[in-house]
Amino acid sequence: MGILIVDDSKESRDLLKTFLKGAGYKDIITAASAQEAFEALGLKGEEHRHGVTFRVILLDVVMPEMNGIEACRIIREDAHLADTPVIMVTAVGEQDSLNQAFEAGATDYITKPVSKVELLARVRSVLRLYQEMERRKVREKELIETLKQLSEANRVLTQLSAQDGLTGLANRRHFDENFSAEWRRAMRDRQPLSVVMADIDHFKLYNDHYGHQGGDDCLRQVAAIIGQVVRRPGDIAARYGGEEFVLVLPDTPLEGGIKIAEEVAAAVRTLKLPHEKSPVVPYVTLSMGVACMVPDRSKEMKELIERADRALYAAKRQGRNRVKAAEDHSGIN
Amino acid sequence: MGNGERIAVTIDADLKELIPGFLQARHDDVAVIGASLEKGDWNAMYIAGHSMKGSGGGYGFDEITAIGAAIETAAKAKDAAGVKHGVARLSDYLQRIDITYA
Ligand SMILES: [Mg+2]
Repeated sequence: MGILIVDDSKESRDLLKTFLKGAGYKDIITAASAQEAFEALGLKGEEHRHGVTFRVILLDVVMPEMNGIEACRIIREDAHLADTPVIMVTAVGEQDSLNQAFEAGATDYITKPVSKVELLARVRSVLRLYQEMERRKVREKELIETLKQLSEANRVLTQLSAQDGLTGLANRRHFDENFSAEWRRAMRDRQPLSVVMADIDHFKLYNDHYGHQGGDDCLRQVAAIIGQVVRRPGDIAARYGGEEFVLVLPDTPLEGGIKIAEEVAAAVRTLKLPHEKSPVVPYVTLSMGVACMVPDRSKEMKELIERADRALYAAKRQGRNRVKAAEDHSGIN
Repeated sequence: MGNGERIAVTIDADLKELIPGFLQARHDDVAVIGASLEKGDWNAMYIAGHSMKGSGGGYGFDEITAIGAAIETAAKAKDAAGVKHGVARLSDYLQRIDITYA
C-alpha cells in the first residue's frame, strides 16, 4: 500500500516524490496521466484488477487529455477505491475548480507551487483520517458479527426453552403460553378451537419391558409422527407430560379435530412399533380424546382441556387404540 | 534587468539531486518556447508556462513560478512580446542564480 502521484509534469512528480521519500514514505508510484493512473489502480482493460489500493492518491487538476477532476470521479466510481483519500494538487488561481473536485469526491487539496511542510501535513492528516475510517469499518464489522451471533443464540435459546428436550415437540411451557393466546384469538374471531389429548397405550408396560431407553425411543418416534401430521401454521403439537401429548388446532371444528386425530393414530399404527406386552395389539397404539369449543366469555379455557381429557378416558375405557370425541361439546358447526 | 547582479537562492537539501535536472529543463524551455513562438504554437507555450508556474516555487525558485505565470498569461492572450519577455527573464534569471542547500 503506497502512494500514487498523478501529474503530467515530470518536475512536479519528482518534487512530490522526493518530499515524500524524504519524510520516510515508501512505495511511491508515479503516473504521468489519468490513463497511467487507472492502469496503476487496476481500472484499465477488460478485467478490472480490483483491490489495487493506495493509502493516498495525489492528483494534479490540470492535465492534457483527462483532467484530474474527471479522473477523480472515475476513481470514486470503483467500490474498492471509494474511500481512498484523494488529495487534489492545484495551481494558485485554479481554486474555482476545487468545488468540482470536491463534488467529484476529492478528500483534500494542496496548492502549487507545493510547499514541503504543507504537503506532508496534508498527507499525514488524510492518512490519519483513512486509518480511523478503516478502524471504524473493522469495528462495525465486528459489531455486526456479534449482533448476528447474539440474535442466533437468542433464537436457539427461545427455541430450546419452548421445546421438549426429548421429543423436539413444543414443551408444556410453550403449550401453556400459546394455548391461552389461541383461546383468545378464537374468541375474538368466533372460530372453533379443537384440542386433542393423546396417550400411548400401556406405556408403563412398554417401559417395564423395553427399559427407559426403549421408552424414550418410543416417545421420540411417536412425537415425530405427530410432528409430521400436525403441521398447519398455527397448530400446536406439544408433549403434555410423561407419555401424553396435546394438539391445539385453531379454526378447526370437531370433525376436523377428529380427522387429524385419526390421521395421527393411523400413522402410529403404520409404524408397527413392537409392544409385546400390550393387551390391545402387539404394537404401539394411541388413545385419543377430541374436544372443540367456540370460546366466549362465559367459558373457561381449562374446560376445553377437561373435555378432551374426559374423551381420552372414554377412549381408554372402551378398549384403547381409538379416537373419542367429547359428547358435551359445543363447538360443532 | 540582466545587469549581472548575482541572486542567492536557498534550496531544500532534500532536492539537491533534482536541481541540476530541473535547471537543465528550464534552459531547454528557453529554446523550446522560442521555437514554439516561431511556429505560433500557443498551446505549447501555455503548457510550458503553466508547468513552470506549478513547479518553480516548489523547488525553491519563486521567481520561476512568477515567470511561468507571466508566460502562461501571455500565451493565453497570444501576446508574442509578453512571451518573449518572459523567456528573456527566465534566461537572465538562470544565469544569475547562486544556489546553496540547507
Ligand atoms: Mg498539470
